[in-house]
Amino acid sequence: MNGLLLVAQREVRTRIRTKSFLISLAISAILVAGLAFAPKVFGGDDTFDVGVVGAAPAAVSQVHFTKYPDEAAVRKAVTGGDVDAALIGDRRVLADGELDQRLGLILDSAHREAQIKAAGLTITPLQVESIGADARYQGVRTGIATLLVFVLFFLLIYSAMYVAMGVVEEKGSRIVEILLTSVRPWQLLGGKILGLGSLGLINLVAIIAAGLSASFASGFAADLPPGMGGIVVSTVVWFLLGYAFFSALAAAFGSLVSRQEELNSVLTPMNTLMMLTYVVAYLAAGEPTGTLARVLSLIPPFSSMVMPVRTAASDVPLVEIGLAAALMVVAVVAVLLFGARVYERAVLRTGARVKLGDVVR
Amino acid sequence: MLEIDDVRKRYGDTVALDGVSFAVRPGETFGFVGANGAGNTTTMRIVMGVLRADSGEVRNAGRALTYEDRRTFGYMPEERGLYQKMKVADQVEYFGRLRGLAPAAARRAAADLLERLGLVERRDDAVDALSLGNQQRVQLAVALVHDPAVLVLDEPFSGLDPLAVDALAEVLKDRAAAGVPVIFSSHQLDLVERLCDSVGIISSGRMVACGPVGEVKDREGRRVLRVVVRDAAPGWADGLPGEVTRDGECDVLLSEGGDDQAILQSAVRAGRVEHFGWQQPTLAEIFREAVA
Repeated sequence: MNGLLLVAQREVRTRIRTKSFLISLAISAILVAGLAFAPKVFGGDDTFDVGVVGAAPAAVSQVHFTKYPDEAAVRKAVTGGDVDAALIGDRRVLADGELDQRLGLILDSAHREAQIKAAGLTITPLQVESIGADARYQGVRTGIATLLVFVLFFLLIYSAMYVAMGVVEEKGSRIVEILLTSVRPWQLLGGKILGLGSLGLINLVAIIAAGLSASFASGFAADLPPGMGGIVVSTVVWFLLGYAFFSALAAAFGSLVSRQEELNSVLTPMNTLMMLTYVVAYLAAGEPTGTLARVLSLIPPFSSMVMPVRTAASDVPLVEIGLAAALMVVAVVAVLLFGARVYERAVLRTGARVKLGDVVR
Repeated sequence: MLEIDDVRKRYGDTVALDGVSFAVRPGETFGFVGANGAGNTTTMRIVMGVLRADSGEVRNAGRALTYEDRRTFGYMPEERGLYQKMKVADQVEYFGRLRGLAPAAARRAAADLLERLGLVERRDDAVDALSLGNQQRVQLAVALVHDPAVLVLDEPFSGLDPLAVDALAEVLKDRAAAGVPVIFSSHQLDLVERLCDSVGIISSGRMVACGPVGEVKDREGRRVLRVVVRDAAPGWADGLPGEVTRDGECDVLLSEGGDDQAILQSAVRAGRVEHFGWQQPTLAEIFREAVA
């Protein structure tokens, strides 16, 4: 165990100080944080600023009232574009040109309601009832799911690639001969996977933290669906499962070659599988309740990306999540055993590329 | 005592080791000599457990080696391996930790070794910033950091400058004096002759000569009687075994047998004897003959 932790510690220490890690961490966090501001910047804001002279009306949602001392000042604010409209003495509305239709309706109904209240009447507003799924957050949930696809794919392929490169580095430089007279193969492989996985996790947590705090800063958080905590937890857990699966494959294939140049060709099957997972997860983000999404979210390794995406985009029955997780855990254990076996047998056979068939027999 | 007992290894149809046996006592330095591909690297890899023998056994103190035994060995593989981007001191310390040293002990051992090997000023440099000779010193430090019970070094001297050779030789002598069996392979036979108590010559996977250096020389080499006579009359050596060559004013007689006393008397009669003695062949000569 000690050897495994030492190896993991070295991986973290060496990689965390490299420029490439810090830069990719910063870029991904900034990109995701930027997305939380995007609705505000591109979509324009959906609240109105209204200047008020005289008595201020009761608070109304989507309208922000600002007090002005007199009509002259508020006129200047309207024509200068500081406010969208002005309300004078709770009776007259000034607008620069035509009054925004929606703002007009809001102000009008607020005005009417205030008068009705003053007259001592109570009215019952219309009851709206949704007979489909809760669709209020559908747009946002799809957005988050789509973002998750990119983040998970990027982190999985990046982390698995580092595992493969690390394996080849040690094999190619023959340092593995000294390492394997000091620690067991499973300690060396496990430590590498654990260490680089921790870095991937740090990266993921940084992205989530940046995204969420930027959402609060931009006010976008108010639009986030309830149950964000669950989405975050499911993302982290599925990332770890997916990472364990793909990194074990990466290590197994990586241990077949002795030079970094050969890595790309030997990793082609794994990369293809990851691309495929990415594509189906992307499709699932758009149609989370479709048959494709529902079936593939149960099948490893597709589930590692499709399930968190589906969980973010829609409500998934707990039974399905449990089944998908159980299947994925079984697959991860199988791939880890397979990876360790291939690694152990291939990593000391330097020189020409080792055939997979020669080592799995 | 480290014993290699009838170790065999094949790669497909190629026989790499055909029953290699030898032993190295505690405190003994064993020089392992062979042409490229003769089998010394394969043997050392088998000793270290990096490669599995088809048959045969490697024992230490009478017991077959286990993984735990080998963790206490110091190993320098033929193809050097270090983390290129890792700092020298960190690297040596890391391998010390991997071999079971506590953090403080690993740090201390690394510092001591870097001091001994003249690398103190480079301790915070990345390995790839070092010259090849210095990288090799780091490699040696990695092999020695945990105070190994047995040393197995594949070509430790190749590529070193004379100063580094001396530093390494000192360290090896030191370890041997502490009772550690030391095996190293080398193509520099003068070095093997100078440093080793015993020598093994391997050719095509078989040990062709093995034993204490002096014994191997006596057994394997043909001794040659060399006589140098100044101002000798021509034809003085007619009838004596061997061949005479002329070197300036002197005649040089090289003889592989015969009555050395009779030859000496003839030489004294012929002129002024400047040199008379049995010559031991060098290890290089024995090696060439054994491998030919």
